[in-house]
Amino acid sequence: MTGRTEPSTSEGSAPTGGGRVSRRNFLKTSAAAGAAAAVGGSAISTNPDIVAAQEQTDREIVHGNCWISRASCGQAITVEDGRAIDLTGVDGHPKASGGQGREGTLCSKGVAQLDKTYNPNRIRQPYIRKDGELQSASWEEAIEFAAERLEQFREEHGAEKMLRYQGYPLTDTHDKLFQRIYGAAIQVGRKTTCHGPFSDSWGWMGGYGREWPDWQNSEYIIAWGRNPMECFRGQWEPNGILDARKNNDATLVTIDPRYTKTAQKSDRWLPIEPRTDGALALAMGHVIIEEGLYDEEFVENWTYGFEAYRENVEDKTPEWAEEITDIDAEEIREVAIGFARAAPRAIAFPWTGIAYQGNGFKNAQAIHALNGLVGCIDHEGGTRHYRGPSLSDPHAERGIELPDAHEDADLPDYDDYPYQRHIRNYSHNYVPTMVEKGDIKGYVSNWSLPPKSGNTQEWLRALDEMELVIVVDAFWNAVSKRADVVFPDSSQIEQPFLGSGGDSCYPTRTWVTASNAAIDPLWDTKPAFDIYKELAEEMGYGEYFPWDSEEEYLDEKLDAVDMSFDELAEQSYALVDEYGYQQYREDGFNTETGLFQFDLAPNESYAALADELGVSTAPEWQPVDDDIYGETTDDEYPLLFTDVFVEQISRGHCQALPESVEEYLDRYGRAYDDYEGNYLHINPRDARPRNIQTGDMVRVESRDDAIELPAHVYEGVRPGWIATVNGFGEGSVHPEEAGANTMTLNREHHVEPVSGQVDRNHPVEVTKAGGDGA
Amino acid sequence: MSRQWAFYFDTQKCIGCHACVVSCRVRNDVGTKEAKWRRMEHVGEGSFPDYKETSVSMSCFHCATAPCRQVCPTHAIEKRERDGIVTVDQDKCIGCHYCAYACPFGACQYGDDGLLQKCHLCLGEGAGDGHGKPARQKPEDGGATAACVDNCVTEALKAGPINEILREASEEAANRYSESDVGPALVVEPVTQESHDSIETTDPTG
Repeated sequence: MTGRTEPSTSEGSAPTGGGRVSRRNFLKTSAAAGAAAAVGGSAISTNPDIVAAQEQTDREIVHGNCWISRASCGQAITVEDGRAIDLTGVDGHPKASGGQGREGTLCSKGVAQLDKTYNPNRIRQPYIRKDGELQSASWEEAIEFAAERLEQFREEHGAEKMLRYQGYPLTDTHDKLFQRIYGAAIQVGRKTTCHGPFSDSWGWMGGYGREWPDWQNSEYIIAWGRNPMECFRGQWEPNGILDARKNNDATLVTIDPRYTKTAQKSDRWLPIEPRTDGALALAMGHVIIEEGLYDEEFVENWTYGFEAYRENVEDKTPEWAEEITDIDAEEIREVAIGFARAAPRAIAFPWTGIAYQGNGFKNAQAIHALNGLVGCIDHEGGTRHYRGPSLSDPHAERGIELPDAHEDADLPDYDDYPYQRHIRNYSHNYVPTMVEKGDIKGYVSNWSLPPKSGNTQEWLRALDEMELVIVVDAFWNAVSKRADVVFPDSSQIEQPFLGSGGDSCYPTRTWVTASNAAIDPLWDTKPAFDIYKELAEEMGYGEYFPWDSEEEYLDEKLDAVDMSFDELAEQSYALVDEYGYQQYREDGFNTETGLFQFDLAPNESYAALADELGVSTAPEWQPVDDDIYGETTDDEYPLLFTDVFVEQISRGHCQALPESVEEYLDRYGRAYDDYEGNYLHINPRDARPRNIQTGDMVRVESRDDAIELPAHVYEGVRPGWIATVNGFGEGSVHPEEAGANTMTLNREHHVEPVSGQVDRNHPVEVTKAGGDGA
Repeated sequence: MSRQWAFYFDTQKCIGCHACVVSCRVRNDVGTKEAKWRRMEHVGEGSFPDYKETSVSMSCFHCATAPCRQVCPTHAIEKRERDGIVTVDQDKCIGCHYCAYACPFGACQYGDDGLLQKCHLCLGEGAGDGHGKPARQKPEDGGATAACVDNCVTEALKAGPINEILREASEEAANRYSESDVGPALVVEPVTQESHDSIETTDPTG
């Protein structure tokens, strides 16, 4: 199918009130849309006397769990007459506080949650595509339509041609229905759009999914390409770092070409030449070994491949790295020694700044190696192997065996495809080609927006080409507008929640957190669990969803920790089991050798790829190289462009929230501009010769494409390097698609070769839009 | 005046996240593009790589001798005797903006109705709601703790009676406040150990 048109009714797609949202505006817009009845009948009124009377009524505080960053911060929500009117964090909550006795808070995104719930731009009822038009439908119609189309799709193409694109579902029944029961075998996950180079290198070296720092107990913290003071997953992170600074006199070092809020709090900011992090890490390893400051006991007893690592860093002096990284050799030496002396209460922690690089895997490997070298792995104040409690599987509890319909699927093999070298099969960027080859013909997702994550133009075409697109979401965007079925999900505070962890301010405790729906679902929306249950029933799989309600389903999950859902929701959170540090001393590392692996030679698939690429399996510096590791700048495209996070707009749907957008703009002093998109941050040394001033519209042109957005000229970014905040522009959730979609510059081949993750660094030239700026 | 209420702000703890600003909007039901009772300033100094920023959360600071009140021709602005909170009686406000010219902090803001509205330390919800409310004796009085304080992620922002605030402040911050206690009811921790006079602010409406 091609040439899909946008929804035919104006109610869902047209922004209301210029994106201005408040409870007052909500009352106005609700009344105008005739939606008052849908949100509780006579409870809502715009009559001033009635509103005044309502303000005299009792209020109650109930719990929620913020899902904007998938951190599940416990919320205390003030509800009055069925309306949520205020919220803050739950005191002592594992994510929303700094620990016991500390007040809970929410970050600016979390506080903007009401903006999400009462947003007039929300999708308010189901939609189905008929005769090429997306039309509003009843739930019965939409469920029946989706079930029929899914069945027809499987008969015609086979369920394995339905792509499950990983999003942010509030329920695990999305995967249970589509993967296990229906048989959609192919999933593209966030490891190829967000953190693959970091997580995969860590997984193969350290043997579990992902480390996370034990912030509050640390004495030396290196924030390496991450900005935890503003892109935190829960308030415990900035609090933990500030606690470490105050209580342990911890040193904080930020390595980032951008001056961030983390840099602001740091003892040292190392504004590194982008994509040279591996060279810096190797030089630090060189110093630590030369000075005899590494942890001999850990290296000898618990690691594999130290000799290969030692060999690779032997000649990697700070002076060698200074040439590459533009960091003073003496400073490299000082940071290496400071880090090693503080160890094992020390952390070198990389994140998206590293993962977004085409040579990110090798850079991340060299950084992880430092943690192994000083023995801070799973150590108090070091990296931490956080655990979550095991919860019961409600299906197992009821003796229901879910089918494995996806297991024997005949899946395509792209091992020989030039941009498909990576070990993780099926990269995000490769999906459009898979569609073109006929290996993917359908798409299901829940709160996801792939065209902002890479290869945008091809993705937009691919979505148009697909035979069946089904989405669960709350906002109109490039995917929901192209869908055949749009199921309007309730926002988080309109549905029950259960979460467990995991990283938190309680580094030796597992925990669970839960909340009931704080308010009834608005308009004609439904919680995701209910959507999947109804869809399953319509498809003839009712036997797999016997629970009357989601609360009942979640209640059974908590059997393992002997709590009821209501009990937990009432108290918001509970600390469960205790567990110790250095768990490897009992369990070993879950790697091929049972040891922490500096050298990944024992990992057969990586060893084969490294051989093909002609690189070492041990940590090594890999410069960017046009074909494989990322494009380099030259005279024609002299600036390196990438995108970054800020606290106000760091996740999925924040661009739809006027409060979040306004605060992002105000952070750079631009809240009073008549513009609601992203700005291009550029150093005066790059702006001046191009005659660019703050507020000027500029054109960012790469070898492949161009975008336009206004400039913000300031000293907080490295000359030669420019950046913006992602998620805006074409296809985004912003009601007017304001700003620029950075991934318009991205193409299929822009992938990191090991993990298949999108490479978000592009050489560009910047000019004033509409001329030479003269 | 028995108990002047004051804000406390520690730039070293502030992470510039804007939670205070959004909390203020949500609690007081002030929409975006409308009046802004609280805002964050990020003041940059120096050139790359010797660049530094300081983040400051700004609002009405309920000055001891409030210049807004002194210029108000209709006496719509009250410096409350019992707690020092500066409130506005919107019934008396004529929207002349004199107060905005007088306020050095950009705190005086105006709604769609053209009338003054600003921080009232969360005495009520909505413009002018603080006027006529009972005095705060302790943080819980006259409504909950200020929303901005409730959601300050790192405890950089606090509010309370000045004697309590000064007890928690560093000696240097307390001394600096005492030297100018006719000005804003704001106790600020120094950015560094070296003293500095003031942080430049901009007029948010300009």
